[in-house]
Amino acid sequence: MKKLNYIIAAFLVMVWMPSMGQTQKGSVLIKNATVITITQGTLEDTDILVENGIIKKIGKELTANNATTIDAKGKYVMPGIIDAHSHVALDAVNEATAPITSEVQMADVVDPYDIGLYRALAGGVTVSHAMHGSANAIGGQNITLKHRYGTFNPEDLFMKEAPRTIKFALGENPTRVHGRGKNIQPRTRMGVEAVIRNGFNEALQYKKAWETYESASKQKGATPIPPKSDARLQTLVDILDGKIIIHCHSYRADEIYALINTCKDFGITNIVFTHANEGFKVAPELAEYTMGASVFADWWAYKFEVYYSTAYNAAILMENDVLTSINSDSGELIRHLYHEAGKTQRYGQLSDEQALALITINPAKQLGIADKVGSIEEGKQGDLVIFNDHPLSVYAIPQMTFVDGIKYFDINDDQNDMRIRVSANEMVEPIFLKEHAHNCMHGVDFFFTNFGRNLFEHSH
Amino acid sequence: MNINTKIKLLGSFIVAVFFIAYSSVQAQSDPSGTKRVSSTYAIKNATITTSPGKTMTGATILFKDGLIQAIGTNVYLPAGTDVINGDSLYIYPGFIDGASSAGITRPSEPERPANFDSSNPSDELAGITPWRNVIDQVDMNNNAISDWRKAGFTVAHLIPDGGMISGKSAVVVFGSTSSTNILGQKTALSAKFRGSRGMYPGTPLGVMAKFRDVYKNTELSAQHQNLFASNVGLNRPEINKTYEAMYPVINKNTPVIFEVSNDLEIRRALRLQKELGFNLMLMGVTEVEKVISEIKASNTSVLLALTLPEDKSKNKSDKLNEEAQERTDRVKEAYETALKQAGMLEEAGVKFGFTTSGAKPGDLMKNIKIMIINGLSEDAALAALTINNAQYLGIQKFAGTLEKGKLANMVITTAPLFTDDAQIKHVVADGYVFDYETKPKKVANGNKNGNGAAGVSGTWEYVSDTPAGSSGGMMTIENGATGYEGTITYDDPAGSGKAQATMKNITVKDGKMSFTFDVSAAGMEITVSVNGDYTEDQFNGRMSLAEFGSFPLTATKKPNQSNL
Repeated sequence: MKKLNYIIAAFLVMVWMPSMGQTQKGSVLIKNATVITITQGTLEDTDILVENGIIKKIGKELTANNATTIDAKGKYVMPGIIDAHSHVALDAVNEATAPITSEVQMADVVDPYDIGLYRALAGGVTVSHAMHGSANAIGGQNITLKHRYGTFNPEDLFMKEAPRTIKFALGENPTRVHGRGKNIQPRTRMGVEAVIRNGFNEALQYKKAWETYESASKQKGATPIPPKSDARLQTLVDILDGKIIIHCHSYRADEIYALINTCKDFGITNIVFTHANEGFKVAPELAEYTMGASVFADWWAYKFEVYYSTAYNAAILMENDVLTSINSDSGELIRHLYHEAGKTQRYGQLSDEQALALITINPAKQLGIADKVGSIEEGKQGDLVIFNDHPLSVYAIPQMTFVDGIKYFDINDDQNDMRIRVSANEMVEPIFLKEHAHNCMHGVDFFFTNFGRNLFEHSH
Repeated sequence: MNINTKIKLLGSFIVAVFFIAYSSVQAQSDPSGTKRVSSTYAIKNATITTSPGKTMTGATILFKDGLIQAIGTNVYLPAGTDVINGDSLYIYPGFIDGASSAGITRPSEPERPANFDSSNPSDELAGITPWRNVIDQVDMNNNAISDWRKAGFTVAHLIPDGGMISGKSAVVVFGSTSSTNILGQKTALSAKFRGSRGMYPGTPLGVMAKFRDVYKNTELSAQHQNLFASNVGLNRPEINKTYEAMYPVINKNTPVIFEVSNDLEIRRALRLQKELGFNLMLMGVTEVEKVISEIKASNTSVLLALTLPEDKSKNKSDKLNEEAQERTDRVKEAYETALKQAGMLEEAGVKFGFTTSGAKPGDLMKNIKIMIINGLSEDAALAALTINNAQYLGIQKFAGTLEKGKLANMVITTAPLFTDDAQIKHVVADGYVFDYETKPKKVANGNKNGNGAAGVSGTWEYVSDTPAGSSGGMMTIENGATGYEGTITYDDPAGSGKAQATMKNITVKDGKMSFTFDVSAAGMEITVSVNGDYTEDQFNGRMSLAEFGSFPLTATKKPNQSNL
C-alpha cells in the first residue's frame, strides 16, 4: 500500500507542475469570504471572481462558468502579500567588486528553483522585490518577481509591468567592503555620498556626450565618432531621468537626510529608504520628499549602526504620513510577514487597515505597481491569499495562495517535497535559510577574501 | 594473441602511446630510426562504417599520406602498401571532440600592479583575453592527448583555459608529434560565467554585464575604425587589443563557445545571444529537459557533456521511512533523467555533438552505452562523435566521415562499436597508425589509471567558485612517513596575495580525498574542510566553510612534475 502512496505522490507532483511556456493566467471564483480589500474596506460574505488572471468582479451571488469555485465561508481573503526587500530566488546577490555596479541586473541571475519561493507562497507572499546586496554604494538593478513557482524559465517570474528599480547602500556595508576591505573609496559615510554624487555627475557628462553625438549624427554628411558605451553610467542617467526607483539600504538618520539632500540636488524623487532603523527621526523629511521607508518590525543590534532602533519605527512613520512598508530581507521572515505587520499593533496601536497596508498596498506603491496589485479591486491582478482567520490574528494560517488567478499553494495539497529541481549528485541537498546569514553578519569583521567576503552582505 | 607483426610503427610513438607494438624494421636513411617506412596503408576485408548508418562489409580502405584514397570491395593496392589484415575488424570515422581541454595549461596570471584597483582591473587580470590563442597553451605531447586518442579521438576542438573570455580555440588532429597538427585556428571565442578572483567582475552578475560591455564597445570601436578609414579630419581610433580580437565575433565570422554547467547558464548564454546577436555554441550542456524548446528555437550548436552522475540512490536500504523514500525516489528520478539527456535531444530533433570537457577517457564508451540504453540511437551517438562536430567546426569537407579525399582518421575496433566486446585495436589519425593492446576477454576498456601509484601526491592547482567569485591556489601533497602531508595556498584574507596553510587530516581512500586547513582572518580561526573524489589528475569536491556553506572545488594535478 505504501508503494502505491509513493506512486500517487509522484504523480501529484507531476500534475502540479505547471507546464512551461507562456505565463499562465487562471480563473477562480472565491465565494462567501470576508474580503479585506485594503483600499475599500472589509466586505463580509462576499465573492471575488478572477477571470484570466484579473479580478473581474467583487460582489454577492457571483457565478462563473469557466472558473473553479472555492467556498471560503468563514475564511478571510486578502491581497497577495508584497515584500519590498528580498533576496529569494537569486543565484548571486552581491557583485561586491566595485563601489558602483549599476550595470548589473538581478534579472540575469534569477533562480526559479529556489524553494524559498514556495515557502513565501505558503506565507501568502505573491510578489517579492529581488534585490542586489548592500556591498556597494550603488548596487545592481533589482527585479520584481511574481511567485509563479513551478516554471523552469526565470523570465516567467518577472513582473514585466513593474518599473525598473535599483539598490543603493549607505553606511557600514559599503565602507567596510570597499574602504576597509580593499582600501578604496568609500571608507566613510562622507565617501559614500561622494561616490554617489560623482556617479551622478559622471552620468550627466555621459548623457551629454551621447546627446551631442546623436544630434551631430542627424546633420547631413556628418561623421561623428560615437562615445564609449557605459551601461553603468547609462543606468545612472535613467535614474536622473526618473525611469528607475532607488531602494536605498540605510540605517542612520544623518545618512538618510544626506541622501535626501543629494537627491534634491539632482532632482531625484523616486527613492525609497529600506531598513531605515532611524527613519523615525527624519519622518517629516521622508514624508515630504521620498517614496517612504521599508522597515523591519523589530530587528536590530546586529551591528553598530543599528543599535539605536525601536519597534515603534513603523508606527511613528505611518502616523507622520510616510509611505511605510514592512519587509523581510530574509527567506525565513518572508513566510510570516503578516505577523511582522501585526507587531505594529502591539507597538504603536496601528489599525488593522494600516497594519495590513504595510505589507500590501504600501510596498506596491514603493515598487511602482500599486495600479496592478496590493489591494483587492476590480481590474487588478488576481493575487489573493485565503486565511483561516483574520490575517492579523496570531492563529492565522494561509490556506491557499493565488497568483494571476492560479493556485500556487494549497495547505491541503502541500507535499513533503515541493522542489522543482533535484540534484542527482546529492542525497540530501544543503538547505540554507537566508535568515541563517544574519548571525554571521553580527559584528563580525570577517574577510576570507573570496570565500567568505560578502557572502553575508546580502542580509541587510 | 598475435598482435600486429606487420605494422611498422615508429619509435617516437612509444613515448606517447603505451602498449604499442612495433616492428624492428627501420628505414636505413633515417639515423634516428623514427621515420616510417611507408605512408601508404590499407586495411583489408573489414566492416567499414563510412558515416552513421552506412556500413559495408568485406571492404578495404586505402590511405596514403594522410588522405583516404579508396574505400570499397575491389580496391587496387599499389606496391609498398603496408597492409593490415582487417578480418573481423570494424572501422569507423575517427571521433571528433567538440570541445576539449586536453593538454591545455592555464597561463599564469600576471602580477597585480602596486596600485591595483580591484574595481577596475586591466582586461588581462579580469580574465578578458580574447586575443589569446589556445595553440600557445597546448602541449601536443601531453598524456591527456594520447589518452583521448586511445579512446578513439582523432580531432579535437581545443578550448583555451582562463577567465570569462579566455581566448580563441583551435582544431587540431591527434597525428604525428612532428607536425603542428593544426587544422584550424581562431575557430571560436571561448567564454564562461566565471568571475575573477577578488576583482570586477567577480560573479555571474558582473560577468553578464561585462560581456555586454565588451561586445557593445567592440561594435562602437569598429564603427570608429570604419569612420576613420573613410573620412578625413577625425580623431584617431584608440587601438584596443580586446576589441580588435572581438571584431570577428561581432562580424559573426567567429562564434562564441560558452561553457555552461546547468540549464540556468544555458539560458544566460541564450539571453546574451538574443540581445547581442553573435553565433553561439553551447559547451557542456546538461539538464536539457528544462530548456530543450529554447535550445531548439535558438538554433545554436549543442555540445553535450559526456559526464554522467553516479547513482547515489542505489545503496540506500529498503527500510526507509516514507519521507526518506520519497526523497530517494526523486534523486533516482534526477539520475535517470541525467542519463536520458542525449536521447531527449535526439527525440526533439536537436542536432548535437559530444564534448570531452570534464570527462575521463575511461568513461567515454561506458557513458555512451548508458545513454544508448536510455534512448539514444547508435547512429545518433556516432554522429555526435563524428559528423555533427565536423559540421559545427566547419571541417566537414575533410573530416567526419570516411570518404575518398578526406583525412585518414579512423577508429578500428574488434567488434561493433557500441557493443560490450568492442575494444579499440587501432586509431588512425592524420594517416598515422596507433596500435593498442587488446585483451582476449574484455576486462575494461580505456585506460584504467584511476588511482595510480602516484596517488594524490603532487602539485594540484585548485579553483573554487563561491557566490563571491572564483578563488584558487595550489595544493602540494607528499606521501610522508606518517601518511600524506601537504600545504595549501589561498587568497590572503588580509589583502592581496596568497597565504599558506598546512593541510591536516589528509585522508585518501577508495578514490576519495578529504582534508582540512585553518585560516585566520581578523582574529578569527576558521576551519575549512574539503572532500571529494579524485582520479589520476582530477579532483572534484566541495569546500565547507564552517557554518557559512559549502562550495564546489575542483583541482587539476600539474603535469610533468610527478608523472614524468
